[in-house]
Amino acid sequence: MTDAPSEQVADQVEISCQACGSTLLLDSHLRTTVCPYCASPSVIERPPSPNRPAPSFVVGFVVDHDRAAAAVRDWISSASIFARSDFKQAAPEVTRGVYLPAYLYGAVANSSYSARIGEDYTETETYTTTDSKGNTVTRTRTVTKTEYRSLNGEHSTYIVDVVVTASAGVTNDALEAVEPFDLRALRRYEPSFISGWLAEDPSRSKDDCFQLSHDESVAKVEQLLHEFMPGDSHTSLQFQTNLSNEVIDLVLLPVWSFAVRYAEDRPPVQILVNGQTGRVGGKVPISTIKVTIAVLTGLIVVGGFALAIASQN
Amino acid sequence: MTTAIEICERCESPLETGDLRCSICGQVSPADRPHAEKLTVQILRCRGCGAATAYDIKHQAPSCTFCDSVVEVETLEDPLEQSEGYLPFTIGQDEARKAMRHWLSSLGWFRPSDLTTSARLEQLKPLWWVGWVFDAESFVSWAADSNAGSRRSAWAPHSGQVEMTFDDILVSASRGLSDAEVSAISPGCDLATIRKEPEGAQNATIEQFDLQRSQARQQVIEAIQVIAAQRVEQSEIPGTSFRKTSVSVVLRKLITRRFSLPAWILAYRYKGRLYRMVICGQNASYVTGSAPYSIIKIIFVAVSVVAAMLAIFAAVAAS
Repeated sequence: MTDAPSEQVADQVEISCQACGSTLLLDSHLRTTVCPYCASPSVIERPPSPNRPAPSFVVGFVVDHDRAAAAVRDWISSASIFARSDFKQAAPEVTRGVYLPAYLYGAVANSSYSARIGEDYTETETYTTTDSKGNTVTRTRTVTKTEYRSLNGEHSTYIVDVVVTASAGVTNDALEAVEPFDLRALRRYEPSFISGWLAEDPSRSKDDCFQLSHDESVAKVEQLLHEFMPGDSHTSLQFQTNLSNEVIDLVLLPVWSFAVRYAEDRPPVQILVNGQTGRVGGKVPISTIKVTIAVLTGLIVVGGFALAIASQN
Repeated sequence: MTTAIEICERCESPLETGDLRCSICGQVSPADRPHAEKLTVQILRCRGCGAATAYDIKHQAPSCTFCDSVVEVETLEDPLEQSEGYLPFTIGQDEARKAMRHWLSSLGWFRPSDLTTSARLEQLKPLWWVGWVFDAESFVSWAADSNAGSRRSAWAPHSGQVEMTFDDILVSASRGLSDAEVSAISPGCDLATIRKEPEGAQNATIEQFDLQRSQARQQVIEAIQVIAAQRVEQSEIPGTSFRKTSVSVVLRKLITRRFSLPAWILAYRYKGRLYRMVICGQNASYVTGSAPYSIIKIIFVAVSVVAAMLAIFAAVAAS
């Protein structure tokens, strides 16, 4: 943003603190601010627009800053052995609790499917073998075989509680890593709920979010269909899903966002903590050196065995 | 009491006080708060002392930093289920006693001959047990294995979809009665006779729902799936034997009512042992319970059957 100062102005709004009257400059995707002069928490409300609907729900923070930081430290130290050493020693910094905009999506999913259903049956077959005395004998045994039958059908179900990110700063995978949120703790959105905390407005377009929701819904349908299939086994499941009667509502989710800077030449890693459950999610930077060493060691061991076997023969 | 406030505009199931979303389809219940017309900046102030309020983790709610008072916000409510009304007892104590004698004498020849005369009534207690009664429309998708069309395997896959309506289906929430007892006596209850207060019996045990609304809905939906699977097996799947029946139910207009229903619980003693009986509180012909068998009669029959078979064998061998 430093190289485009004119855009910076366009992305910001000027508001005046209702307590002390000072003028505050605020990023336009934020819903809240705290006045630096008098510490009064303000909540900004804008007229809703298609890409920026008014929030319907909010889930409150349960995990406080200290617990979130402790969870991140535990998570970093228990990271995989292939993680970079400097990452495992890095201290998480710049923590902020933010109400992340997300969409809560639901639909009726009508799917046509086809699959090969495997029905098992047993058959008695005869086979010849040699007994303990070396004679050739004929015996019978029962074997399980599978007969495949094709099945076509229709499947209808409600899809509910699909949560997708509406913030450009957090990818859907990053949000999925800290899901689930317990939606029984949903509250109707009230400005007072986010007062004193950072809260963002949606920064992804609604079309993008619909696409994300559709993808997640289709994945859910696939899982449901796998459970739905009769038979002892099934293969080649194919389906076409049509989503209708859709509902999509904006919900603000509590997330602690941490940045871990582990090397001068690398961008910091974003680690999120579910502000309701304390679940940690993020991408661990893998050390290429460690992986190379492991692969080489593996090759040397295998090569050693091969040599040993070759020399024996 | 939980009451329906409005109808979900998507699946037409009633929403109840404290629902933020429809429990069936997930549609948001309408909010009262109007949207902002223009950009506004506000500082939310404590009603008590006027200081600014902010969300507080400790209270799980917005609260005032100075006087510690908490701001009320609309939360999803999950109250304990409450009965909406009672079906009155129409069977009195004497009729219940008579029903017991009648039932004991109708059990058949394998029971002890002196059962009706020697059974001593130990306890006779009225009970209002609790249950949900629901109506719903649904669209059911099913898939199952059945013997119809099978080739080498005994099973062949089938699938289909069907519209299904549910009228006045009773799901037990009772801890005191078993599911078998409930299904034996519930057809005798007339749901139209509902009253505000318990009527028709003194000193009755009044059962309470011990579930929260969300769990209750879960139980009702599970019951609907079980009933849908049974109906599909009865009338949809071709063939006579089934396995791996799965159903996917899209519900509309799910209306659930919470009832307290009357039953007489009897305990009688026969030769030192206690047996239990349950009689529908509105119709004495719906009775279920346990009763002793006559060991002597059973042994007698078994011995005579064996003797008869031996006699036949002997006759066959002799000829």
